[in-house]
Amino acid sequence: MLRRMKLPSSQSWSRFSDFVRTPSLARSVTGLLVLAFVLLLTVNISTFVMIQRTATVNDAIEHAQQMRRQSRTVLISMLNAETAQRGFLLTGRSDFLTPFEEARAEREPALAFLEEGAAADPTLRAPVAQIRRLSDAKLREMEATLALAREGRIGQAIQTVRSGEGKRYMDELRQTIDDFDAFKSARIAERTRVSERAAMMTVVMNAITGLLVLVLALLSAWMVRRYVGEIQHAREEVAAINAGLEDMVRDRTAALTRANEEIQRFAYIVSHDLRAPLVNVMGYTSELEQAGKIIERGVAEAEAEREVSADIVTAVREDMPEALGFIRASTEKMDRLINAILRLSREGRRNLLPETLDMTAMARNIADSVHHQTEAAGAQILVEALPSIESDRLSMEQILGNLIDNAVKYLDAGRPGEIVVSGEDLPGGWVVYRVADNGRGIAARDHERIFELFRRSGKQDRRGEGLGLAFVRNSVRRIGGSIDVESELGKGSTFLLKFPKRLILSEPGGVL
Amino acid sequence: MTQAVKIIMVEDDHGHAKLIEKNIRRANISNEIKHFDEGGAALDYLFSAEILANGPLLILLDLNLPDMSGTDILEKVKADDRLKRAPVVVLTTTDDKVEIQRCYDLGCNVYITKPVDYESFAGAIRQLGLFLSVMQAPEI
Repeated sequence: MLRRMKLPSSQSWSRFSDFVRTPSLARSVTGLLVLAFVLLLTVNISTFVMIQRTATVNDAIEHAQQMRRQSRTVLISMLNAETAQRGFLLTGRSDFLTPFEEARAEREPALAFLEEGAAADPTLRAPVAQIRRLSDAKLREMEATLALAREGRIGQAIQTVRSGEGKRYMDELRQTIDDFDAFKSARIAERTRVSERAAMMTVVMNAITGLLVLVLALLSAWMVRRYVGEIQHAREEVAAINAGLEDMVRDRTAALTRANEEIQRFAYIVSHDLRAPLVNVMGYTSELEQAGKIIERGVAEAEAEREVSADIVTAVREDMPEALGFIRASTEKMDRLINAILRLSREGRRNLLPETLDMTAMARNIADSVHHQTEAAGAQILVEALPSIESDRLSMEQILGNLIDNAVKYLDAGRPGEIVVSGEDLPGGWVVYRVADNGRGIAARDHERIFELFRRSGKQDRRGEGLGLAFVRNSVRRIGGSIDVESELGKGSTFLLKFPKRLILSEPGGVL
Repeated sequence: MTQAVKIIMVEDDHGHAKLIEKNIRRANISNEIKHFDEGGAALDYLFSAEILANGPLLILLDLNLPDMSGTDILEKVKADDRLKRAPVVVLTTTDDKVEIQRCYDLGCNVYITKPVDYESFAGAIRQLGLFLSVMQAPEI
């Protein structure tokens, strides 16, 4: 299980590393796209960071502005309180004290806000503490005068005001708050500038990246276009080569057909011309035989009268008839061979006529036709159900007939003969037929030879010219098939025939 | 039969010619046999004044001649108004059906294939002799 899990992953890894190592268009395009994607991602991240930072800066600026406002609130509340204090001291009317209380109430949250801000920023601690101290002191001074006034000691209260202590506190407070304000303003300006620069940078970077991505996209598009162009070109080339190949095959086939026809014609002419001298050899051999008989008669007459030399008697009665016998036998054999070549060439020029053939019936007919031979030999022929074929009837009959004849002819006398004809359809539009026997078999070195003209194999105890299998192979090839033999000497032979299921001729009735 | 039929034999193979003549004689045919071993000479003779003036003849023709095909001679003979009545016996080794057909189409009267087997060869010639002995050759 582990192996099965690992195998594909290691395979895909090696495929991936191959892909990376091998320079190819797919690799370049993929690289460009990955680069563009990385650039876009970088820009996105930096923009996001920029936005975050800008938001932070804006918050800080907002806070600083609030600090400024609150410091102003402290000052204003103190001024309001002072105004109320002076009014009360002048008029003694208690309604002047309400604004004082209001001012004091306003001061407290403002101060608290400032102190909170200062807690986060150490640089602000000193001024804020100063503001608290001075405003506290001023408040205390004002409360003291008010207390004196409420007790009726107005003069003493005015004296306190007049001493200028309160004014001094107030002046210092004003100064401190002005400084604080200026400091804060400068800081806001600084932060705004930094923020603007960063925003500018982001814009520029975005623009550059956008441009780069555009360039990368154009580059990939160009490469893909070029690649498609190359593929198109290659395809056209292949198509052209293909067309050329078809033409070549047609030319070759035509040339082969021509060559084949020439050979057939040649064989025909040669065998005819060979026949003419043979007519003479045979004719004059007969004439010599006639003359020999006359001489023999003369010798017999001479013998009746006197002693005849033994040499003459031997020459006339033995040597001459023997010589003539050999001449006659050889000439007859030569005639048979020439006739075989003629038959072969004539067969090669016969028009083929494809039709659907019931091969089982055909094989049974052939088996029946050799019935008396098989019966005499104690053999039997078993014809299995054979697939049909669309081919030339005469060729198929000759092929099967010849093979079955051979099987019957070369049975092994030592065991009851059994010949089996079988066959089946093969994928790809082919049919195979088998003629198997348990006869004497063929030695391996003769497996090719037996198909050659005038060649025979094994014990020469049967009549024959060595033509049958040569004819069979010739016919098999003519109808587009092939023939093979599997055999072991002393065990039996199987002849394998392979044919196209449908014989298609290049021209109707033509020669393959 | 006012005049003996003359036999014109066109045969390039002297052996064949001699065998044919021998067997014709054996069939007791004593007519004059004129032998040519070339098509050209045979044609010259056939179209000469001697033949045109004299009467009936029969042509024995081989097809494979060195200078022309026997069918050429056959064609010329059958195209001539006077000669076309002369019977033509084609005597050759060729037993190709197409060739035989062509000879009959051109007007050959008898087609005999020379068998290699001498007995049948002699038999065929003797039968031809018998045929010649009963044949009434037309006047030319």
